[in-house]
Amino acid sequence: MIALGARQRAMMEALFGDTEPAPPLAVYRRNVLESFRGALAATYPVVERLVGPAFFAEAARRFALASPSTSGDLAEYGADFAAFLSRYEHARAHPYLPDVARLEWACHRSLHSPEAGSFDFAALADLAPERYGELRFTMNPSLHLLRSRHPIAAIWEANQPDRDGTPERGRGGERVVVWRDASGVRVLPLDEATWSFLTVLASGGTLAEAIDDARGLADAAATLTRFVADRILAGFDAAPRA
Amino acid sequence: MDGVPARLPAATAGIGLRAPHYREIAERLPAVGLLEIHSENFFGEGGPALAWLERLRRDYALSLHGVGLSLGSVDPLDRRHLAKLAALADRFEPALVSEHLAWSSWGGRHANDLLPLPFTRECADHLVARIGEAQEALRRQILVENVSAYMTFTESTLAEAEFVTEVARRAGCGILLDVNNVHVNATNHGFDANAYIDAIVPELVGEMHLAGFERDGGLLIDTHGARVAAPVWQLYERAIERIGPRPTIVEWDVAIPPLDVLLGEASRARAAQQRVAA
Repeated sequence: MIALGARQRAMMEALFGDTEPAPPLAVYRRNVLESFRGALAATYPVVERLVGPAFFAEAARRFALASPSTSGDLAEYGADFAAFLSRYEHARAHPYLPDVARLEWACHRSLHSPEAGSFDFAALADLAPERYGELRFTMNPSLHLLRSRHPIAAIWEANQPDRDGTPERGRGGERVVVWRDASGVRVLPLDEATWSFLTVLASGGTLAEAIDDARGLADAAATLTRFVADRILAGFDAAPRA
Repeated sequence: MDGVPARLPAATAGIGLRAPHYREIAERLPAVGLLEIHSENFFGEGGPALAWLERLRRDYALSLHGVGLSLGSVDPLDRRHLAKLAALADRFEPALVSEHLAWSSWGGRHANDLLPLPFTRECADHLVARIGEAQEALRRQILVENVSAYMTFTESTLAEAEFVTEVARRAGCGILLDVNNVHVNATNHGFDANAYIDAIVPELVGEMHLAGFERDGGLLIDTHGARVAAPVWQLYERAIERIGPRPTIVEWDVAIPPLDVLLGEASRARAAQQRVAA
C-alpha cells in the first residue's frame, strides 16, 4: 500500500513538475495554476494591464512553478513576483515592470497592515516648542517607501481602472510613499527634499535631523502638518531629556 | 464582542460573504440567518475587510470556514496559521468554525487547493490526530467538510461516507456536509449519492453547504461559480429529511453574481427546511 506521505509527495511533484501529468492530476494542476494566476492578478492588476492577460497568465504559470507558495493564506503569495519579473527574459521590453510590481506589493501589504493609532495632538500641544527638534515620529504601520529609476507612481495612477493608461509623467525616476488612510491605500510621489525628510523620520531620526537632511525643503512645518493630517505619521515620542 | 448571539437554530440558511457584497449587505441587512467567511481572507492585521466584518458581525451570526490549514497533510500542522485562526475566532465569536478533509501542502510547499485524501485507516488515524490538535489549539469543536475529488486512490479501503463518519466520530468533531460535493463525487466516481447521505450519522452533522458545479468533459468540477443544480437540490431535500435541517450556506466564489441571486438561493434552502419541518 502506498503510504500517505509518499502519495502526497508524488502528487505534489506531479502538480508542479516540468511536464503535464496524466489526466486526473492534470485537472488539479490546471485548477491550482489558475488559482495562483487569479491570486497574482488580484495583487498585481497594473502589471497585468501593462502586459496584457495572455502574457501575464504565462508569466504567472512560470512563476507558480518556479516559486513555491509557502503559506496556506493566499494573501502571502507573490511576494517575490517583482524579483521574478526582473529575471524574466520576456519582460525585458518593460524595464519598469519589476518596480511597478514592487509598488503593487507595497499596496497589497499596506491594505492588510495594522490600523494606525490616533495622533495625540493634546500631548504635542503640551510640549515646549524649543523641544520640537527632539521629536521622533511613529509611522503609520502601513507605510512603505519606494524609489525607482522609472516613474512608477505615474504608471500606477494611469493604469487604475478609471484611467486610459497614459502616464502624466513619462520619464525620470520617482520616489513614492504608500500608506493606508480612511479612504484606502494611497500612492503619492514625493520630491527629493520631502522624500529625504520623510526617510529620516521613518528611520527613527529626530525632526531636527530630518530638517537638516532635507536641504531644499521649502517649509518643513507645512510638510510635517500635511504628513500628520494625511496619517502618514501616526504618533510621536519626545526624545529623553539629556 | 457585541453582536447577535453566537448560537444558531438548526433550521437556518445564509450565504458565503464575499468582498463585492460587503457594502450592500451592511446597508440592506438582508434577512439571512448567518454569513460565512473564508477565514484566511481575514488573517490580515487591519484594513477594510476586517472593518466590514466588525460591522456585519453586529447584525449577523458568523461561520469561519478555513481553506488553508491543510489538515490532511503529513507536514507538521502550521502553528502560525492555527494561531491566526484562533485569534480570529476569539475576536469574532463565530457560531461555527470549519475546515476540510483535504490536504494542500507537502514539504513546506502549498498548492493552496483542497487536494483529496485516500480513504484508508492510516489516513483516518492521521486526520483524527490532526483534528484533535486543531481543536485543542482553537479550544472548541470544529466541523470538517467532505471535499470534491477528481480522482480516487487504489489504496482506499473505505467508502467515502464511512471514512468521513469514522474520522468525525473518533476525532470528536462535527461534519460539514457539502451536498454539492457528494453529488459531484457520486457522478465522477460512480457511487450512489443517496446511499452516501443515508450512511452519514445525523448527530455528527453541524452544517450543510450548497454550491454550483460546472462540467469539464466527463468530470463535474466544484467551481462554486454557478447556481445550485437541480439534482443537488433533490439531494439536499433528502439530506434534511434524513438528517434534519442544519445551518446551510450557499457558496459562490467565481463570477460572483449580484447579491440578490445568492439571497434567492439561500431562501430556497430555507424554504426546503420549512417544507421538511411541516
